[in-house]
Amino acid sequence: MKILLVDDERKFVTMLARRLELRGFAVTCVYTGAEALKVVQDGAKFDAAVLDVKMPGIGGIELRRELQQLDGGMKFVFLTGHGSDSDYSVGAREAALYLPKPLKIDDLVDILSRVTGKNPEGGH
Amino acid sequence: MDKFKANLKSLYPHFHRQSDEHLNPYYTFQDYRQIWGVGIFFLMATALLPLIAMTLICYQLVDQSIDTESLLRAERLASNTRRAVSFFLEERLAALTFTVNEMGYERLTDPSRLEEVLRNLKLGFGGLTDLSVIDDSGTQVAYAGPFNLEGKDYSRQAWFMECQRHDACVSEIFSGYRDVPHIVVAVKSMQPEGRFFVLRATLETERLIQTLSSYKTGEHTDIFLTNREGVMQTPSRFYEGDLNRLTIPLPAYSDRTEALISSDPQGQPIVIGYAFIDTKIAPTSFVLMVVKKKAGMMKVWLDLRSNINWLLIVSAVVIALVVFLTSSFMVNKMFDADREKARTMVAAEQNSQLASIGQLAAGVAHEINNPLALINETAGYIKDLFILKEQYRGDAELIEHIDSIIETVERCGTITRQLLGFSRRFDVQIQPINLGKMVSDVINFHKKEAEYRAIAIHVDIPATLPLIETDRGKLQQIILNLVNNAFQATDNGGWLDVRADVEGAEHVRLTIRDNGCGISEEHLNKIFEPFFTTKKEGQGTGLGLSITYGLVKKLHGDIAVQSKQGEGTTFVVTLPIHTEKGFDA
Repeated sequence: MKILLVDDERKFVTMLARRLELRGFAVTCVYTGAEALKVVQDGAKFDAAVLDVKMPGIGGIELRRELQQLDGGMKFVFLTGHGSDSDYSVGAREAALYLPKPLKIDDLVDILSRVTGKNPEGGH
Repeated sequence: MDKFKANLKSLYPHFHRQSDEHLNPYYTFQDYRQIWGVGIFFLMATALLPLIAMTLICYQLVDQSIDTESLLRAERLASNTRRAVSFFLEERLAALTFTVNEMGYERLTDPSRLEEVLRNLKLGFGGLTDLSVIDDSGTQVAYAGPFNLEGKDYSRQAWFMECQRHDACVSEIFSGYRDVPHIVVAVKSMQPEGRFFVLRATLETERLIQTLSSYKTGEHTDIFLTNREGVMQTPSRFYEGDLNRLTIPLPAYSDRTEALISSDPQGQPIVIGYAFIDTKIAPTSFVLMVVKKKAGMMKVWLDLRSNINWLLIVSAVVIALVVFLTSSFMVNKMFDADREKARTMVAAEQNSQLASIGQLAAGVAHEINNPLALINETAGYIKDLFILKEQYRGDAELIEHIDSIIETVERCGTITRQLLGFSRRFDVQIQPINLGKMVSDVINFHKKEAEYRAIAIHVDIPATLPLIETDRGKLQQIILNLVNNAFQATDNGGWLDVRADVEGAEHVRLTIRDNGCGISEEHLNKIFEPFFTTKKEGQGTGLGLSITYGLVKKLHGDIAVQSKQGEGTTFVVTLPIHTEKGFDA
C-alpha cells in the first residue's frame, strides 16, 4: 500500500515513515502541502494520504480538497495536535477519519487498512 | 412596607461608601459626592436666588413707597400746622394793627382806655396778658394788665429793635422780666408829630401750645416750634436736649413747607416736616417742626415683612429639602447603575480571564502534542527496532533516536516553563518586568498560528529599554488581548509589528500595529465601550478591548488607538516605568 505522509515536523514524519515501512507500507514523506501537490502532479499514485491539519502554507483540510481533485481515488487520514480544536471537528466531519497526536501506530495502521480496503503489503 | 423602606433608603446618599475598591477603575465618574454637592449647589442657587432677589426687590419697593408716603404725610401735617400757627399770630397782629390805627397815640396812652381795649381784646381772642404803649425811646408810657411795669425801658430788647425796622414784630418765646414764657407781639404806628410809638401785647404761650398739640396724630408724632438757632420755643416730647436745644439737626432754610428723612440721636430713622413761619404782617424766627418716628409708621409693614420672611424661610427649607432628596435620589440611582456596570465589567474581566486560560490550555496542548507525537514515534520506532530487528546492539542510529527523544522532552520542558510563566499572572504584585521578554513570550504562543497563516511578526524592542515596575499578569493579558485582536483583524499573509520605546522620563510606549481590516471612523470612539462588537452575534463578547482598557487604567497607564479602514490599526499603550509598590492593582 502506498502512503503519502505530509507534516511540517520533519523528525516526526521520518520516524512515522520508518515505523510504517517496518509494517510493510510504502511511504513517501513530504513536509509541506505544496510539495505534496507537486509529487501527485508529477504522476505519483497513492492509496492514501496522511495529513497534518495545521501546517504553514496549505493546511491539511485545503490540501485534501486539492489532492482529491488530482486523484479522486485517494483516501485521507488526518492528524491533529489539537485535542479539541475547531479544525479537528472540520477534519472529522469531512473525512470522519482523524487521529490525535500523539497517535497509536496500530490505530493508524487499522484506519489505513479500513479506508483503502487493503492490507499494508498491498493485497486485499 | 419593605418597598417603602427601600425607597426611603434610596433618598439617603450612600454613594460615598465606595467600599468595593476593586470596582473603581470601571466607574464612569470617580467622585459622586462632588457631583452630588455641585448638583445641590446649582439647584439651590437657581431655585433660591430668584426668590431672594424678588423678596429684596419687594422690600426695596415697599421701603421707597413708605418713604414717599411718610414724607408726603409729614409735609401735609407741617403745612396744616403752619397755617394754624401763622393764622394764630396774624389774627393777633391784625387786631393790634386795627386798634392802633383806630385809637391813635393819645387815646391809647390813657390808662383807662387802654384797660378797656385790653378787656375787649381778651374777649375777642383770649390769651392776652397785658398791653402797653412804648414810645420811640423804648420807654413804656402806658400799661394795662396784672403787672405794673410803667416806665420800664425796653430799648435793648430784641423785639423792640425788630419793631424799629419793621411795622410789626413777633418775638421769640421768652421769659422776660416776669420769668413766665410768653410771646411779645407789637405793631408800630406814628404820632401826629412824626415820632413813632409801639403797641405791645404779651401773649400766653399756652394757647399756641394747645394749637400745636391739636395737630398731633399718633404717639410717634411730635410737633413743636424752635427758633432758627435750634432753641426750643415750645416743649417737645422727644427732641429737647440740654439748655432747651434741639437734639436733631435743624433743616436748612426754605420758604416752603418741606419734608425730609433724617435720624434721631439714637440713630433711629425719623421723618421731619418743617416750615419757617412768616406772617403776612411780620417775619418771625419760628421754625415749625413735625417729627414722626419712622418705626411707628412702618409697624404694619414690619409685621407683613416678618410674615414674608417666614414664608421665605419655610420655602427655602422646603426647596432645600426637595433639592437634597431629589439630588440624593438621582445621584444614588446613577451611582447604583454605574456600580452595576462596574460589577458587570469585573465579572466580564474574570470571565475573560477564564477564557484566556482556556485559550492558553488549548495552545499549550497543541504545542506539547507535537513534541509528544515526536517522542511517541521515536520511542515507538526504537521499540519496533527491538521487536522487529536483531541488529540494534552498538547501533549509532539508535543513539541518534534516543538523543532525539531527550531533545524533544527538553522542548516540552520549555513549553511547560512558559505555561508556568503565564499561570503566575493571576498573582497581583508589582515587580520589575522586561517588556521585550514578555512580548516575545506572548508572541511565542502565536508563532504557530502566524506560520500557518503566513503572518509576519516583527518585534523591535531595544535591549536598553528600562525594566518597568508593574503587574506581570495584567500586562501579559493586555499584550495577549491586543495581539489576539491584531491576529483576528489580519488576513493571511499580513503583518504585525510590535515595538516599544521610552516616552519622556517616566513612561514606556508599546505600539502594536497590524495591516488588518482596520476600524471604521464611526466605530473608532466606541471600541473601548463594553459590549461593543462588530463581530456576528455569538462570536465576540465585545469585552476584549474594554477589559484591556480597564487593565491599562489599573496599571495607571493609557491606551490610544489609530485606525483606517482597510489599512490597519495601531494600538499605543503607555505605561509608567515606576509604580508604587502595594498600590491596588
